[in-house]
Amino acid sequence: MSEAQPAPRRAAHSAEARSEAARAADHGAIDHLADELVPALIAKLGTTNLGEIEVREGDWRVRLRRPAGSGVSYGRRATDRASRAQPGHEGHGHAKAAPEGHRPPRGGGAASTDSNGANAPILSPVGPGRPGGPGPGSEPDERSFATSPAVGVFQPAATLSAGHRVRAGDRLGVVDMLGVPHEVLAPADGVVGSTLVEAGHAVEYGQELVRIELTERPDAAGSGA
Amino acid sequence: MISKVLIANRGEIALRILRACRTLGLDAVVAYSEADRDSLPVQLADEAICIGPADARRSYLSAPAVISAAVVTGCDAVHPGYGFLSEDEGFAEVVRAHELTFIGPPPEVLDRFASKEGSRRLLAEHGLPTIPGSHGTLRDDQHALDEAARIGYPVLIKPSAGGGGKGMRMVRTPRELESAIKICRSEARSAFGDDSLYLEKWLEDNRHVEVQVAVDRFGSGVHLFERDCSVQRRHQKILEEAPTPALSEPVRLELCDRAVRAVVAAGYENVGTLEFLVDRDGAFYFIEINCRIQVEHPVTEMLTGVDIVALQIRIAAGQPLGLAQADIVARGHALEFRINAEDPAHEFRPGAGVVERYHAPGGPGIRMDTHLYDGYVVPPYYDSLLGKLVVWGPDRPSAIARARVALDELLVDGLVTNVDIHRALLSNEAFLEGRVTTNLLDRVGSAAFLAAAART
Repeated sequence: MSEAQPAPRRAAHSAEARSEAARAADHGAIDHLADELVPALIAKLGTTNLGEIEVREGDWRVRLRRPAGSGVSYGRRATDRASRAQPGHEGHGHAKAAPEGHRPPRGGGAASTDSNGANAPILSPVGPGRPGGPGPGSEPDERSFATSPAVGVFQPAATLSAGHRVRAGDRLGVVDMLGVPHEVLAPADGVVGSTLVEAGHAVEYGQELVRIELTERPDAAGSGA
Repeated sequence: MISKVLIANRGEIALRILRACRTLGLDAVVAYSEADRDSLPVQLADEAICIGPADARRSYLSAPAVISAAVVTGCDAVHPGYGFLSEDEGFAEVVRAHELTFIGPPPEVLDRFASKEGSRRLLAEHGLPTIPGSHGTLRDDQHALDEAARIGYPVLIKPSAGGGGKGMRMVRTPRELESAIKICRSEARSAFGDDSLYLEKWLEDNRHVEVQVAVDRFGSGVHLFERDCSVQRRHQKILEEAPTPALSEPVRLELCDRAVRAVVAAGYENVGTLEFLVDRDGAFYFIEINCRIQVEHPVTEMLTGVDIVALQIRIAAGQPLGLAQADIVARGHALEFRINAEDPAHEFRPGAGVVERYHAPGGPGIRMDTHLYDGYVVPPYYDSLLGKLVVWGPDRPSAIARARVALDELLVDGLVTNVDIHRALLSNEAFLEGRVTTNLLDRVGSAAFLAAAART
């Protein structure tokens, strides 16, 4: 008993010490994990038959797992998405993990939940980053997504790489639908973040393909001459 | 062979096909539009893929989107359901060009029966009586007026493609014809992407009786008896039943027998429905063939015990029927009530919105084919069919008695449905005596019909 006493005190001490030195770093790391790593892992999990993915980065460990009885056993395909839900399941596990808190909730009956659990909450599959960019009056958002204009096979443009600066309407790649290319366009001005689907993989209509980190609007930047 | 099926439809029929695939041990992928993301077939499917936006022209009616979805999900067959691309021979052709099996008649068979007017001529050659109608499709208004004058008013304007009562109008005068033809063309164009029309002589007080057939690749064919679909509102079927109360047993059997012999001789393949009009004297006239699974197929399934959707898939996979005519036995009586999100008190205005609470009726002989669930949001983009209540009884009066109980049990809170019209029908003298004609509701007017039922 007496031995146990100092331990919590030490812990409290160290927590206070940490808060000064490491809080900012932790926040940065969490932001990075939630904004970049987790979506990439979700996309990865969706494009494979893996049941679980774990990644270590620094002191942090992120693990994504499908709920038992779904996903893997059904032989899900590349086109499966976090937006799917099964009665009695929490979507496909990654639905809950998806860092979609930044997105406006979808209107209508999306939030309706059945007492039997027959209608698990379903997250909006299409972010605000639809072609045309965030609408006027929408909350300031730090990112946007270029989405698939068709069901088919994704081929990113050769020039597409993270950090690349793009303008709204720039071509980021194509989705090949039975041999007909459908252009994937940047939804807004910004910087290319992660590409969520690998080249040559099947995508469905509306699927998020490329993340765009939004930059300030040109007019706000005072570029008018 | 078929091992994995893309279901290119929505609502209750997507669910029905999913069940048939599972029964046969096949994998299935549900193709859906953005508006159907939360739908029951999508939720119940092992695999589902979004093929386009809510607008059906860019999703359920888009052949490239549907076929691309089948290709990228590794399907080897496409089931089109009813409506949408189900009877589009061009679509069936492209499906085959991508080495996929179209679950329905092969493209060349669909092509042969693509034109309603052409099918009428073809099946007349194989012994079916037909109604006088226009020679070919209508070129222009003047041609329509000339043909109508030759046939004699009243005439029915019908679209050459598609079904479901869209683009159909009965007209009694040249003036009505001229104004109706524009509406029909525009309805047919938006519903089927084809605005060609033809004319048919309108029989007063007719009944609508159709024969379900199934023909395999090897030319073996059976009928699964007939259905009576005389309860209609503006050419939309509301209630179907089998057997038909309109015809005597020998005439019914003759009709079914002649129908299956004619389609086999004409080279039909897969399941299909031959529609007939029956006049006041019990004479029947072939009007059209539907080369697809029909909304009302469960009536026949309840009557015969045959899983018609599974049969359809097996035929498309190239298997023999495995059924002889003698194997198909009709037992008792079956009724189907289409439950639509429509307000019968307000001209059947279609509704959309949240289903606050849903409860399915049960008990002996009761089957509910529906995609409803608590909290489901009915999207406004598609037709108003919410489900089908199918009731079986050992005879017509007992089926009707069970139907009354089932309709009272059915609960769809949050939306206005047409259930009141069904209740009214079950207390209507003409219906109870089995002498409903296709014009019953339109002649009386639905509001008056409901009011009359409320008084009894």
